[in-house]
Amino acid sequence: MNRRGSNRYMLTTIFMFGLMTGINSGLQASDNQLLPDLSPEKVADYMHSIIEADRNIYTTYVVKRMQEQGIVLAREDWETKNAIPLPAQFLHLSSKLVAESGVGIRFRLISLWPIHRRNGPATEFERKGLESLQHSPESPQRGIVTSGKKKFFQAIYADTAINTACASCHNAHPLSPKRDFQVGDLMGGVVITIPLEQ
Amino acid sequence: MDTPPTSATAVTRKKGLTKKLVISMLLVGALPLLIGLFLAFYQGTQKIQEVNGTSFKALASETARKLDLVVADEVSHTSLLTTDVNLIRFLEDQRDGLSTLTSANLSEVLAQEQTAWEAGDLDSTKRITQGPIAENLRKHIEGTYIDPGHPIPIITRSTTRALYITDIAGRIVASVDTNPSYLHAEELWWQSAFHKGVGQPFLGPIAFDPQLQTYTFTLALPIMDSLRYEAIGVLRRVYDTKEFFAPSIDTIRFGETGHVMLIDSRGVVLSCPILPTGTSLSDNQLIPLVTPMQAGWTPAPSDGHGGQDTSIIGFAPLTNTNRITEASNGLGWHMFVWQSSEELFAPIQQFFRWTAGFGLLGVGLLVTLGYLAAHRITSPIRQLQEAARRIGRGEFQEPLTISTGDEIEELAEEINRMNKQLASQFAGLESQVQLKTEEVKYLQESTSQILDSVPDPVFMITKNNTIEYLNQASKEILELSGNGSIIGSPLFQILKVDPKTQNKLEGEIHTIQTTSLQLDVPPLSTPAISELRDPLAQSGWDQSVGTRPELRMRHRTYRYRWFTVEAGPGKEAFVGLVLRDTTEESALQDRLIQGEKLASLGVLSSGIGHELNNPLVGVIGLGEAIQDEEDISNMKGYAKDIVQHGKRMASIIRDFTGQMTSQSSEKVPIDIHAPLTRAMNVVQAQFPNSAITMHKEFGSVPLVRANPYEIEQAFTNILTNAFQAIQGTGTIDITTALNEGHIDIRIADSGSGIAPTHLPKVFDPFFTTKSQGEGSGLGLTVAYRIVKKLRGHIRLEDNARQGTVCHITIPIPGEVSIPRKEDE
Repeated sequence: MNRRGSNRYMLTTIFMFGLMTGINSGLQASDNQLLPDLSPEKVADYMHSIIEADRNIYTTYVVKRMQEQGIVLAREDWETKNAIPLPAQFLHLSSKLVAESGVGIRFRLISLWPIHRRNGPATEFERKGLESLQHSPESPQRGIVTSGKKKFFQAIYADTAINTACASCHNAHPLSPKRDFQVGDLMGGVVITIPLEQ
Repeated sequence: MDTPPTSATAVTRKKGLTKKLVISMLLVGALPLLIGLFLAFYQGTQKIQEVNGTSFKALASETARKLDLVVADEVSHTSLLTTDVNLIRFLEDQRDGLSTLTSANLSEVLAQEQTAWEAGDLDSTKRITQGPIAENLRKHIEGTYIDPGHPIPIITRSTTRALYITDIAGRIVASVDTNPSYLHAEELWWQSAFHKGVGQPFLGPIAFDPQLQTYTFTLALPIMDSLRYEAIGVLRRVYDTKEFFAPSIDTIRFGETGHVMLIDSRGVVLSCPILPTGTSLSDNQLIPLVTPMQAGWTPAPSDGHGGQDTSIIGFAPLTNTNRITEASNGLGWHMFVWQSSEELFAPIQQFFRWTAGFGLLGVGLLVTLGYLAAHRITSPIRQLQEAARRIGRGEFQEPLTISTGDEIEELAEEINRMNKQLASQFAGLESQVQLKTEEVKYLQESTSQILDSVPDPVFMITKNNTIEYLNQASKEILELSGNGSIIGSPLFQILKVDPKTQNKLEGEIHTIQTTSLQLDVPPLSTPAISELRDPLAQSGWDQSVGTRPELRMRHRTYRYRWFTVEAGPGKEAFVGLVLRDTTEESALQDRLIQGEKLASLGVLSSGIGHELNNPLVGVIGLGEAIQDEEDISNMKGYAKDIVQHGKRMASIIRDFTGQMTSQSSEKVPIDIHAPLTRAMNVVQAQFPNSAITMHKEFGSVPLVRANPYEIEQAFTNILTNAFQAIQGTGTIDITTALNEGHIDIRIADSGSGIAPTHLPKVFDPFFTTKSQGEGSGLGLTVAYRIVKKLRGHIRLEDNARQGTVCHITIPIPGEVSIPRKEDE
C-alpha cells in the first residue's frame, strides 16, 4: 500500500468505527428471531445520523481547527499537496470503504449540481428525491427501487451547506454548475441503499 | 677577477630578485584573473543549471498536465460507453440470469461457452461481435458514435488495439473483434476494475503483448447497474502505448538532443523519441531521483540514455492519471525532460575556453612585462652591487651614473660619495702604512745591528728551546757562519756545555717560561772588589762555583743572564740569553785576589811582627837581665815586666783573632742606644782633655738581638777612631733612626777625613795611618766583623763638608718582637 492509500485509510478510520458499530447492531437485531425485525427505514435513519455526525465532527473539529491553527489545509488535491480531504471527499472515501467492506448497505453523496458528473443522480427516483428535498429538506425521500430483478430500499437525506466554506468552495469551483449557494442551502443529498432479500 | 663562489651567489641573488618581482606581479595580476575566471565559470555553470533546470521542470509539468488531460479525455470518452442504458439493462439481465445458477452449473455453462468461442463458433461469434453493443463499440472506434449527451461525434484515436465488454462473471459479451479470450474474471485488470462489485477505473501498466507484437496498456472501466449500486460488468480497452503517447510527446524537441519522455515509476519507457518503448532507463540510480510526487529538476550523475555525463533532468508526475494507475497497480507515470549536458554546457564551455585563452595570453603578457619591469629595477641594483663589491675589494672605480630618478639614484650618489671618501682615506693610510713599514724595517735592522755590535753573545730561544735569533758575537764564539741551519735548531745542540750545567740551564729556562717572570739573577758584572779584598771575609766565598751564573764552554768561562722578550700579540714570549766572556776577568781577579792576599798578609805579618816584636824584645831583654841578676827582688820585678809584656802580646793576638776574652758571647735582645751611650762614655773618658763635643740624636728604634759587649766594643772602636781623627776641637754627631726594616746609625766627625785612596782599606787589619804605637790597625776591623755578625753593613764615607761619616745599618729580624724600651 502506497502513501496516498495509507493516508486515505487513516483519515476515514474515525468514520468507519462509528458507522460499523451502528450497522452491526442493526444486523444482529434482524438475525435474532426473538427480536422484532428492524425496518429498513430505521436502519437508513440510524446510518444517516452516524454519517452526518461523523462528517460534521470532521468538518468542525478537524478541518476547521487544523486550518485555524495553520497545521494543515483541506483541499481537493489533498493527495499530492500534503493536505487533508475536503468534508465532501471524506464522505466519498468513507462511502467507498463501506462499499468495499461488502456488507451490502451502501451510501453515496449526490447532487443536482455535481462538480463531477458521476455524482449526479443515477436514477429518476434519485432526481425526483433531490427535487423534493429542495422543497422539504426535513423529510427524507424513501422508496423501493429495482435493478433488473434486484430490489433495494433507498432513502435520500438532505445535505445542506453547514458553513460558508461549503458554499464558497462550490461557488468558486470551475466545474461547478451552480454558483450561488448560501449557508443553509440544500446542496445535495445522501442516498442510502439497502438491498432487500428475496 | 671573481672567485667562483662569490660570482655564483651573486647570480643566484640576481635571479631571486627578478623572480620575486615577476611572481609578485603574477600574484597581483594573474591570481585575481584566475579566481575571477573560475568564479565566472562556476557561476555560469550554476546559472545554466538553474535556468535550464527550471525550464525543464516547467516543460515537464506542462507536458504532464497535457498528458493528464489526454488521459482524462480518453477515460471520459470511454466511460460514455459504460453509461449506455441498453448495455446496463443487458448486463443487469445477464447478472440476474447468472444469479439463478448454482456455482457448479455456472462453471459448466462458462466452460461450454468458452469452448465455443475459442472454436470460432458462429453463433457465439456473431452474438458477441455483431450484436448491438458490439456495434456501438465499433462505432466508437470508428468515430461515428454519438453520445446522447454529446451531439458532436467523438474523435477517437486509432490507437485502440482491443475493445470489449465482460459481464459480472468476467465472460466477454461484446467485442470489436474475436481476438480476446472468453473469460477474464481471473485477470488483474478485470478484478481491479470490478473491485468486488464496487468498481473503480483501471489504467494498466505497460506490457508486451505477444499477440499484437507491441507494447500495450489497458484502460478498464467498471459498468455500474442502473442504481450505481454495484458493478455489473467491465469494459476493457487496450492501447498501443507508443502510438497513444507519441503524438503528445515525441513532437516536443529542443536543441539537438533536448526532448521529453514518459516513464513509469519502474523506469520503463512508455514513450521517448530516442529510446524504444518498453526499455528501462540505463541508470537505476536515476529512477528515485526523477520519480518523486512533485515536479522538479535535478543535476543527475547520468542521463538515463546510456551517457555518464552530468545531466540536468526536469521531471513531473502525471498527477491525475497517477491517481488511477497507482490505485490499479502501484505504478505512477512521470514526465522526464532531458538535454545532453554536452549541448547544455556548450555555451559556458565555449566561454570558458575563450576566457581561458585570454587569461593565458594575459598571464604571458604579465610575465613578459613583469620580467621587463623587474629587469629595469634590478639592473641599477646590480650596478650598485657590483660597485659595492669592487669598493669592498678596494678596486676603486669610476663614479656610478644611474639616472632612474628615484631612491636607487640617491643610493648611487651616496655610494659615489662614500667611494670618494674612502679613496682619500685609503690614500693617507697607504702612505702611513708605508712609512710605518719602513720604520719597522729600520728598527729591525738597527736592532740587529746593535745586537751584532754587542761583543757579548745574545741568544733568543723559543719555548721549545730552539734558537730563534743569535747575534754576530754568538756566531763568532760558536764559530758558525750563516743563519739558515742555526735558526730553529735546539739550543743545547749549538751551546755545548757539560751535562750538569745543561740541566741547570734547562731548569732555569723552564722556570722563566712557566712563571713568565724575570729571574732574580745577580747583575752581570764582576763581583765587588771590596768584597774580595778581605781575605778573612767569609760571605764572599760562600757561593760555590756550581750555583754561580757561570758556564764553561770550549775552555772559556762565561757569566750569563736570562731575560724575556715580549713577542707580538698572540705569540709566545721569547727567552733571551746573554753571555759574557769572563775568562780573562776571572784570571785577573784570581791574580788580584792573590796579590791582595799577599799584600794583606804582608801588612798582617809586618803588623804582627811589629806589635809583637817590641814586647818580645822587652821579654828577651828582661830574660837576659834575669839570667844575670842575682837579686831575687829585681828578678821578681823583671818577671813582673815579662808578664806585662806577655799580657800585651796576648791582648794583641786576641784583638787580631777577634775573640772576646772573658765576656759572654751570648746574644740577648738589647736596645742599641745602651751600648752606644756606654761607648760614648768610655771614649769620653779615654780622651779627658779633648775639646770635642758629641751630639746625639736618637730615634725610636726596636730592639735587636746582639751581644751587648761586642756591640759596645764596635761603637767604642768607631768613636775612638773618630776622636783620633779630630785634631783639637771638633764635633761628633751621632744619630739613630729606623728606616725600612733597618736601624740606621750615623756617626759623623769633623775630623781630617780619609784620603780616597785609603777608603777601600780602612777595614783591613793592621791598616793604619797613625804613627807606630798609636794604633794597632785592628779597631775598625773588629767593628767590621761585629757588624757583619749581625748581618749588618758598615761603611766609611768622606763627608762632603768636613771629616768622615760612618754608616752602620743593622737589619731588624722579623722573628724578634720584643716591646721597645724607651731609653734615652
